[in-house]
Amino acid sequence: MTSIEKFLQNAVTPWMGSRGEHSDIVLSTRIRLARNLAGHRFPLDFSREEAEDVERQAAAVLTGEDNSFSCIPMDSMPALKRQVLVEKHLISPQLADPERPGTVILSDDESISIMINEEDHIRIQVIYPGLHLMEAYEQADELDDRLEAKLPYAFDGDFGYITSCPTNTGTGLRASVMLHLPALSMTNNMGRIAQAVSRLGMVVRGSYGEGSDALGNVYQVSNQITLGKSERDILKDLLDLTERLIEQEERARRALLERTSVKLEDRIWRSYGILSNARVLATDEAATRLSDVRLGIDLGIIEGVDVSVLNELMIFMQPAFLQQFAGETLQPGERDVFRAKLIRERIGMERGMEDKTEE
Amino acid sequence: MICDHCHERPASVVVTQSKNGKTQERHLCDVCAAHFHPFQGDFGNDPFGIQQFLSNWIVGAAAQQAGRPQTVEEGAECPTCGLTFKRFLERGKFGCPDCYSAFREELPQVFRKVQNGHVEHTGKVPESFSGRVAAERKIAELRGLMQEAIGSEEFEEAARVRDEIRQLERSLAEGGDQVDLD
Ligand SMILES: [Zn+2]
Ligand SMILES: [Zn+2]
Repeated sequence: MTSIEKFLQNAVTPWMGSRGEHSDIVLSTRIRLARNLAGHRFPLDFSREEAEDVERQAAAVLTGEDNSFSCIPMDSMPALKRQVLVEKHLISPQLADPERPGTVILSDDESISIMINEEDHIRIQVIYPGLHLMEAYEQADELDDRLEAKLPYAFDGDFGYITSCPTNTGTGLRASVMLHLPALSMTNNMGRIAQAVSRLGMVVRGSYGEGSDALGNVYQVSNQITLGKSERDILKDLLDLTERLIEQEERARRALLERTSVKLEDRIWRSYGILSNARVLATDEAATRLSDVRLGIDLGIIEGVDVSVLNELMIFMQPAFLQQFAGETLQPGERDVFRAKLIRERIGMERGMEDKTEE
Repeated sequence: MICDHCHERPASVVVTQSKNGKTQERHLCDVCAAHFHPFQGDFGNDPFGIQQFLSNWIVGAAAQQAGRPQTVEEGAECPTCGLTFKRFLERGKFGCPDCYSAFREELPQVFRKVQNGHVEHTGKVPESFSGRVAAERKIAELRGLMQEAIGSEEFEEAARVRDEIRQLERSLAEGGDQVDLD
């Protein structure tokens, strides 16, 4: 087995897969529920004892009755492992801070991660590949019921679920969808869209940055309001918006194909050439090229490369994954070399498989 | 690009700040961004984010109450964690679940701004909570019945209702999720 195969075996998570509805445009769906326990100060102010008590209570509910969850305290993990979980979006950078008492309870397939003692005592997170808002919510809701049956949740008759930050109060629900919108970005439509979306009480941002300069044209759309709307309404509004964005992206792709077919093909194949051959790749360039190639696959211009490879590479080209792949600490300059190597080998692997099936 | 603050992690967030009419851009990593701009994640590029709103509110409130003693300016204080309403506005985070009761009068104003005009929860209610509310309502209703029974000298009935009330109160004290309400 080559080093890259070994690495992939341990690193791929189901939500990076390419199954799921609208999976050409929607990379993943995420649901997060913020919950807190009565009688304990929030993590910003609480004591070690309170932190341990919260952790003990939550862990007892989930790891007690079935063994598909494992409970991993942050201080039991080396820094690189924590960073890998951040890059997989399974925990937040705040939780990974070794100065704070934090724990993650992870399901075996990594589709569920429950962050203990992040900004709130409990944050239930469910990630699905593709567009699955309702299914992901139902899974989170069911876990919430299980926790609620055993734990003294802080809940207020007027304000709903009590959270550390007033922007989460009420449902404590943050639903988000990750979208790959290369055609809307190329046609300079994202600024206009971001403005229109904010008027709907929702927000669009680059999933690895802010605003219009989204890395790899990947955007995260999520609800901003958590109070005064039911969970169903929040999810339905986000679903409506997502479907409209998918429609607009598809229309923009068709227009690009009709108007600038040769230029578009050229750009896509150039990017493919760079990813297959480059020896040094910085993050932004890699992301832009991966976006192009992904678009090429979606449009049928490039054949024989699975879209899930691109999903994986967007995650694996981040610093902690690269260092895990390299098996050593890398300086920023060295990372660019390993990033190029990882991408080259992974795409080469795909091509190799294609050659074999053709024989 | 490397984070402007810690010079360690790669910058992933651009934070735009307006100060005295000048706009300044800072490139921060996730960790530093979450630390300095706790609302950034939720508010995106909204220049009228919660922090600005809350700090304007403090200035306004301080000006209004310039003649009054210090204690008024601090606002209500949470009896459990000691956080004052003023401090809450400054940092934008509550201290503990009891802060919600301590600041109840002022909170609709806060939520009206940060939740697009919404002030009341209309979503999911935990079963234990709805059970508790229902049990409390039932107890109030039974107390009325008991008074009526006493008023009309039906002491046997009054004693029966009293026992029922006691039973409900006991199960509430034990956690409330075992309350039997028929
Ligand atoms: Zn930093
Ligand atoms: Zn408090």
